[in-house]
Amino acid sequence: MMGGASDPHALESRLISTGVERLTLLGKYAEALMAGYARDEVPLAGLSKTALNRLLAARILWRPDEQGGVKLAPKVRELIAEMLADETRRHVNADVAETLELLRSLVQSYREARDAGEYWRQEQQLLRLRQEVDDLNGRFADAIDSLWRRLNSDFGFVSHLGDKIRENERAQKQIVRLLDGLELIDFTELIELVGGDGALRKLLVSGLQHQLTQHYTSLREVQRRMIELLARFRQQQSRSRLVAGMAAFLREHPGFAPGNYARRSEVPALVNRAALLSAAGAPALDHDADTRILTGLLHRLPRPVPRPEPVTAAGVAALQENTLAATRHQALKEDVERFYLSVVDGGGEPLSALEYLQQGEFEWGEEIWLFQVIAEHQGLPRGEQRAFRLRQEESQASPFNHLRLIHDVIIQLS
Amino acid sequence: MIEHGPLLERLLAGDFICAVSDESAFRRLEDDETREQLDIYLRPLNRRLATNDEGSVYFLAWRNIDEFARDQLSRQLADTVNSLLPMLEWLQLVQETLGRDGLAAPGDVLKPADFSSRSEDNQGLRERLERLATDPFFGSQSEQLDAQIKQVFKRLKEHGYLLQPHADRQYFVVTAKIDYLIDLVRFIRDEENLPIDDQAPASQESLL
Repeated sequence: MMGGASDPHALESRLISTGVERLTLLGKYAEALMAGYARDEVPLAGLSKTALNRLLAARILWRPDEQGGVKLAPKVRELIAEMLADETRRHVNADVAETLELLRSLVQSYREARDAGEYWRQEQQLLRLRQEVDDLNGRFADAIDSLWRRLNSDFGFVSHLGDKIRENERAQKQIVRLLDGLELIDFTELIELVGGDGALRKLLVSGLQHQLTQHYTSLREVQRRMIELLARFRQQQSRSRLVAGMAAFLREHPGFAPGNYARRSEVPALVNRAALLSAAGAPALDHDADTRILTGLLHRLPRPVPRPEPVTAAGVAALQENTLAATRHQALKEDVERFYLSVVDGGGEPLSALEYLQQGEFEWGEEIWLFQVIAEHQGLPRGEQRAFRLRQEESQASPFNHLRLIHDVIIQLS
Repeated sequence: MIEHGPLLERLLAGDFICAVSDESAFRRLEDDETREQLDIYLRPLNRRLATNDEGSVYFLAWRNIDEFARDQLSRQLADTVNSLLPMLEWLQLVQETLGRDGLAAPGDVLKPADFSSRSEDNQGLRERLERLATDPFFGSQSEQLDAQIKQVFKRLKEHGYLLQPHADRQYFVVTAKIDYLIDLVRFIRDEENLPIDDQAPASQESLL
């Protein structure tokens, strides 16, 4: 008969009760522990001496040296990082070699138990084996999950491109280590190890193989994407540096002019951009079908509204209106001339016709004003016209025709 | 061919076609057969389809470069070189104003409002923006920050570097024409042997 202490059932229930007790500690002191996770040390202010001793005994906390403060145990830190998917601190560690060692010895024990007919021990060994295989899988799955998260967030947990590049390179090294770990698992060896045992075969050969194949595929995919992302990071970095470098160069060398690449015998492809060409069209009447369409369009044009004019007053009213219009036009012309004079007074600096109009509180509409500014420029004698440089702020009305809308006119001295 | 009509018109009008400026047209241009068809059409016009190294943008190039084409290309090149510094400064300003890691890239969304809110309480940015906006390339005449920003966006839109998906909404998308500009900068650096290094210093790597 077995003694109380070595009774496997009693051992199991003692492990369970201690485990529950210690897990409860995690919840009970969660705030102090999280403070320790966020900072370097666990703040002792809120912890009683007994509580601290229990946390130390449970190896949740440890004291690296006698004088120093109390810190989270590495495993607890890892557990929290895993639970938070905190990519800055999550560890990737598949430890395949050690697991394989363990699997081998567990299979040996399992076999011995089976041969000795100790069914309970056999069951226990099989359970441990299953847990180890699950752990191995879980470690790969976690590591892969962590890699995907980092990839999908574009390494958003670090802010500088340089840091992202370094994090990406670190992740790629982890992938290589994980792939190396997968390489260690030799299925020929495992097949030999399990022999004819169906349960072991299912666990260690068919099941594991299926899962590891999936991990392998995921790792290859995440690796490919990491390499792409790194290339993109590097391209971004190189672009930023190029732009910064060229801008600095141009600021230092204001007179810099590159060679005229258009005059080379072989014009570089990059500078070969053809002049624009507009595909113009006009209504034509030489197709019957088109004529009908055009007639339809013509009918849909808005009709001009005829304005009845009182016949009797026509003569005088027209005269008055004409004189009024002429006076107004003269006033407009004078205001525009004053605008040109302000350009001269301003030392020839570029001056916006619209802004001048708005600042001067004139009564002219923008359109009529711009029209007159352009007309004035065109009406100047050749020599004077050359003295004033006119630039039109314009945009294309639509991509499909070449109607250009003038928004403003800038005048400066040449 | 008729289905390519609007696309051809845009190309002939000097537009750059990319996945941002016209996604469906860009997809069609990625097809070898379509490109061949368009090239056949363009041949009598002495033009051909061209693209940049990454293939992110399509535009028209001269098929045969005659004297007329050389004159036009020389003028165009001079214009581009003149606008180079303001464009590069704008790219740097965007990066710094928005606190981004990299330069504005095709598909990035830019909002004038972000620029005004961030430069309002940052005198340094405010001054740089003002200097940039009043550069002849952007040509703002205003002293108002918002008007300056508006003008800068307007000019970039006219030059095809930005796209405004909705005329009444103030947000803009960066087009792949920016890729072309960067390619050109790299080209000028290489051709003129300018002392500009775009690779990270090796020390950064060895720290690992």
